[in-house]
Amino acid sequence: MTPILQITDLTAGIEDREILKGVSLTVNPGEVHAIMGPNGSGKSTLASVLAGREEYAITGGTVVFRGNDLLELSPEDRARQGMFLAFQYPVEIPGVSTANFLKTSVNELRKFRGQEPLAPAVFLALMRERMKLVEMDQSFLSRSLNEGFSGGEKKRNEIFQMAMLEPILAVLDETDSGLDIDALRIVAGGVNALRTPTTATIIITHYQRLLDYIIPDVVHVLWDGRIVRSGGKELALELEKRGYDWIKQEAAEVA
Amino acid sequence: MPQAAFNDVIKRSFDDLSKRLNGSASGPLHKMREAALKSFIEQGVPTTRHEEWKYANVLPFIGLEYSRVSEIAKSVTEKDIDEALGELVSVLESGWRVTIVNGQFRGDLSYLPAAVTGVSVDVLSDKLIANDEVVRAAYGSVAKSDAHPFVAMNTALACDGVVIRVAKGSEMKRPLHIAIISDARQVNVLTTPRILIVAEEGSEIDIVETHSTIGDQQALDVSVSEIAVGSNAHVRFHKVADDQDDSRHIGYTAATVARDGRFTSHCINIAGNFIRNDLVINLADVGSQAYLYGASVLGGVQFADSHTVVDHAVNNCHSEELYKGIYDGSSIGVFNGKIFVRPQAQKTTAYQSNHSVLLSDKAQVNAKPQLEIWADDVKCSHGATLGQLNDEAIFYLRSRGIDADKARALMTYAFVAEVLEHIDHEGLREFCEKRVASKLGTEPLSL
Ligand SMILES: Nc1ncnc2c1ncn2[C@@H]1O[C@H](COP(=O)(O)OP(=O)(O)OP(=O)(O)O)[C@@H](O)[C@H]1O
Ligand SMILES: [Mg+2]
Repeated sequence: MTPILQITDLTAGIEDREILKGVSLTVNPGEVHAIMGPNGSGKSTLASVLAGREEYAITGGTVVFRGNDLLELSPEDRARQGMFLAFQYPVEIPGVSTANFLKTSVNELRKFRGQEPLAPAVFLALMRERMKLVEMDQSFLSRSLNEGFSGGEKKRNEIFQMAMLEPILAVLDETDSGLDIDALRIVAGGVNALRTPTTATIIITHYQRLLDYIIPDVVHVLWDGRIVRSGGKELALELEKRGYDWIKQEAAEVA
Repeated sequence: MPQAAFNDVIKRSFDDLSKRLNGSASGPLHKMREAALKSFIEQGVPTTRHEEWKYANVLPFIGLEYSRVSEIAKSVTEKDIDEALGELVSVLESGWRVTIVNGQFRGDLSYLPAAVTGVSVDVLSDKLIANDEVVRAAYGSVAKSDAHPFVAMNTALACDGVVIRVAKGSEMKRPLHIAIISDARQVNVLTTPRILIVAEEGSEIDIVETHSTIGDQQALDVSVSEIAVGSNAHVRFHKVADDQDDSRHIGYTAATVARDGRFTSHCINIAGNFIRNDLVINLADVGSQAYLYGASVLGGVQFADSHTVVDHAVNNCHSEELYKGIYDGSSIGVFNGKIFVRPQAQKTTAYQSNHSVLLSDKAQVNAKPQLEIWADDVKCSHGATLGQLNDEAIFYLRSRGIDADKARALMTYAFVAEVLEHIDHEGLREFCEKRVASKLGTEPLSL
């Protein structure tokens, strides 16, 4: 079985500051990985590097996505090949309605796969169906993308987009932050519904709570730009109880 | 000195016209021309030292040789006009068209409301001035020669201008297109089209004014449109600059709005080398309203200068203004928006906003809101922003499979569409959306 994602000794940073200091991670089809770790440890940086944000300089290591060198690809080509990042802070885009944006996006992905654009009626029906998954109201379709959306609404909209784009690998960066208890359940339900044996998910989170709903196969702890510990779902429970200090200490001893 | 040479061209053209007019050279119109010529010579061709012309440098093209338009053969055909107007022909097919070629009204190329009551089109003449009190009162007083050198120039040379009257209470369902053509196929031409629109009490009409150049020689089109909006009348005026790449246009549009009347203006600049638009609105009576929308989508070496004035002369009037621009290449945009609130204009509400996006390092925009408020019980605001496209937003779109160019096009289109959406006439709105989208490398958003 070829992994969907294989990261080896990845180092990356900004200007002369190194943020990722040697990350290695393998994600196989069907798996859910959780990445936890203290604030500032580099979780969002890792997600951004995977999505292709250009301000981060890759200084070493490799990332192979579905058998290809991911780092060679433009952000749009990564998306077209099935990479999806649910942003920690989704951007507001005035004047571009959610529906128009998604129509453009979906049809770009289809074009890449050699498919015809979806007929407007088919597309609308698909949007309505997928919105139900995250219990989003249809009125959002005509509103400017993320503009004036509440924090929770923005997060739901990310998962709605994921449902529309059907990625091979979804990286969810703190999609649970800012969600109320019901919304958390709904969003998690959406993510679970989208799981397939051929796709995978990386969940970046601070809280065990989300992992009660989306059961991870592997939990990683990212600390100071390195994955310092990986384990089963019980690792998340232990972190919830004990915090990160013990891991930091262990990591310091190893180093 | 190009100015001196240009003054000579104007004087010679005036003398020419005087001779051609024979008998009517002593009529009231020609008296006005004489006064206007004097005013033009006094004001002089503005240079960039002139505050209102700081960025609009006319010197490069006033020094050209211009032929006197009266010498040019009347060889423009329907087909030439169709070609110049392109898709707009079918967009406005259901409406009327007043065609003006090199400043002269061309009935043979126009589609006029013949047996229709409610709207009439006439050539501006001494007889009309003599017989029609409303025309007499409006002509040359809505747009005053002493207020602007090119209004003076236009008034001095305008002949065979057009008067459009919308009768009391008539709500015109079909748009009236004023197609202004400069025929520069054989020689350089300097044209001075002149329009007067009188919308009587309670009437309503959509006016679309376009300027098109045909031919490879140089054309300078200096046009003036005066609009008298009667009480409770509503004029929706649209000016679309979508001309040849090397075209030059200096336009002055003035409107006075009577009690509870409404004037809505849309100025859309899409193509042309040099576009200067002055829009001057006088809210002359209680309850009158003005809505000003403008969009410039420029690239290459294009220049578009929008000077707007809203004069709140009396109490309880309302104005709203939204101008936006997208500037690529080494294009230059200018926005100068004046709002005057006179001492007696209490309870005025006046809002202005102007937003620009620069797509290239070499593009420039010069924006100057100018609010002069002498009354105290008013609500006035203005906002201006200038920015680049948000990189975060572009990355967000790219991360969804939309390439960088398309992402930029989507965002810039959305930016301008917020202006275009105010155009009520569906066909015209769609036409503008399509033209803007294609210039920005996308297509109109349809959901
Ligand atoms: N664009 C940037 N410019 C400067 N510093 C940056 C930039 N991006 C990340 N950093 C720094 O790199 C470190 C890691 O940031 P990152 O956002 O990846 O952390 P995180 O693990 O996602 O934290 P959190 O849990 O708070 O979201 C931080 O110290 C941050 O300040
Ligand atoms: Mg983060």
